[in-house]
Amino acid sequence: MTVLEAASPPAHAGDSTYIPLAGMVRRVTKLTALEQLFEIRLPNGRPLGHSPGQFVQVSIMGVGECPISIASSPTRPDSFDLCVRRVGEVTGFIHRLRPGDTVGIRGPLGHGFDVDELHGRDVLIVAGGLGLAPARSVIQYILDERPRFGQFHLLYGAREPAELLFRDDLTRWRQSPDVNFHLTVDRADEQWRGHTGVVTTLFHRLPRLDPDNTMVAIIGPPIMFKFVVLEVLARRIPQKNVFCSLERRMKCGVGKCGHCQANNVYVCTEGPVFRYGQLKALREALE
Amino acid sequence: MLDRVISRDDLHALIDGLALQRRLIGPVVRKAPECRPPWRYFYQPVDRAEQLDLSFSYCVYSPKPFLFPPQETLFQFERVDGGFTARPQLADRPTALVGVHPCDLNAIQLLDHVFSAAPADRHYRARRDNTFIVGVDCARPCTDGVFCADLDSHEAHGGFDVMLYPLDGDAESAGTTPGRYGVVFGSRAGGEWVRYGRRGEVPTAADERTFDRYQRQKRTAFPHALKTPADELPQLLERSYDSLLWEATARRCYSCGSCNLVCPTCYCFDIKDQTTLGGDGGQRRRQWDGCQLRGFAQVAGGHNFRSRPAARLRHRIYRKAKWIRERTGLRGCVGCARCDRACTARINTVEIYNQLTEEV
Repeated sequence: MTVLEAASPPAHAGDSTYIPLAGMVRRVTKLTALEQLFEIRLPNGRPLGHSPGQFVQVSIMGVGECPISIASSPTRPDSFDLCVRRVGEVTGFIHRLRPGDTVGIRGPLGHGFDVDELHGRDVLIVAGGLGLAPARSVIQYILDERPRFGQFHLLYGAREPAELLFRDDLTRWRQSPDVNFHLTVDRADEQWRGHTGVVTTLFHRLPRLDPDNTMVAIIGPPIMFKFVVLEVLARRIPQKNVFCSLERRMKCGVGKCGHCQANNVYVCTEGPVFRYGQLKALREALE
Repeated sequence: MLDRVISRDDLHALIDGLALQRRLIGPVVRKAPECRPPWRYFYQPVDRAEQLDLSFSYCVYSPKPFLFPPQETLFQFERVDGGFTARPQLADRPTALVGVHPCDLNAIQLLDHVFSAAPADRHYRARRDNTFIVGVDCARPCTDGVFCADLDSHEAHGGFDVMLYPLDGDAESAGTTPGRYGVVFGSRAGGEWVRYGRRGEVPTAADERTFDRYQRQKRTAFPHALKTPADELPQLLERSYDSLLWEATARRCYSCGSCNLVCPTCYCFDIKDQTTLGGDGGQRRRQWDGCQLRGFAQVAGGHNFRSRPAARLRHRIYRKAKWIRERTGLRGCVGCARCDRACTARINTVEIYNQLTEEV
């Protein structure tokens, strides 16, 4: 076995699909006790070139790699955001990164939201928990390209006030005339003045939706999907207008290693964003 | 149609020539002190053709590890100036796999498809492109319990440079070494190996008749075990997702992953890092993973998308008989029955298919 020299390290695809680019951490923001936001810049400021809803494999050399959704819009190409919850070894090490540090980035990976299909339509985004991070890539996109969209509704639910992500954004969205934003927590604390209840309890705050002209994106934990889909279908929105984003264990990110398979579908390449009609046939997807 | 016929001695001379340029891997009976009869065959490196036993029954593992090793380094990294550099590691050692049965050739065709699909896996491709494959046909089933004929994978459909058909000795009397082989070229390199080696003869009409007889005998030599034809297994499974049989069978499953370990078409893997003692460098490595192991589909935070053994068993069977076939048009299972032989709980694949057949 010999080791071949890479033409220009670090490399991607040409030499090995598995070698990440060296991203530079520009800014770290603590969002909650468990989540931090990382602004990452690629070498020479090259844009990541993603579409909303895609993800990257983030790696710490010597520790490992994990899939993280991209939390910012491609309309802001100088850098991109990753919202990382500290749940395991790799994410624990990512949380120790400080501005100026290097982090491995492979991607963008997967199939995101087809934004062309959203253009000219009303859009409803329903985000639960950490699902707000990938949702933010679509939200920012719509706000940056606002004239290209009709009405824009956003519902966001967290388990409790302390778990609310992107508080600055939440304040901004609440004041913005560009988005009809509603927020809820499952369990209130003493300071909480807002709505309490699961995210489906926000649906009565929506105006009458135009079924054929409304596109829906649902991003959250698996348990949330069927309840939200039910609310959406009850408003006569056709299944083909409903999109969901799935979470899975992923290692290779390129449709080979098998971990993310739901039925015959590789979530890492054909997803993580799926049309609901497609998901219905995948029994393993929503179990 | 045969391209050549070749005597055993001439074949050995060709293989010995191959061994001068390539690492030679083939079936070898292993009589290790810790083993007891019946002796088992393994693919392992050898120096000369006479060390190989080309009339072997079956090898415990397929030759997959020589194309997709149980562990391999994807790249080496070093930490420098707060960043890192990485160098891919690609195997370029020329290798010859000699004595690959049709079932395993069919499995290699699936691996080729998966790892060549965009983005191509350079690590697999580097090994594969440097591997010369000589297949050897089975005149009859290698052992009880195989169902390769049900899947038409008792015949080679490609994946070889040269295919050998044992033309005498083997069909009549078990275990004897054939004196002559019919040769079919599968690639230019395969044809050149035989022609430039100046061994073997152009087949005569009598040789072609012998080959026809061989193929006719083969048609009746292999049993069919499945009550549902392989082409209809996808539909059978489509109807069987909610069968109680998954729970009933998986009750016996230890989730040990032995079936994954010996399967020639399993290609799932995990990726892990190893560091040097100083922590300033290391390797990112991949190793085989198995969908029957408990944590295979578990995400950080603890949710397991297939937490029940029944869900994992069903996933494996669907993948082998339905999903891979639907996605690639290739065989996800080649009927070698290695999984059945390796199973610590004696779960039997054919039994599962046949029980499902009787249910609906």
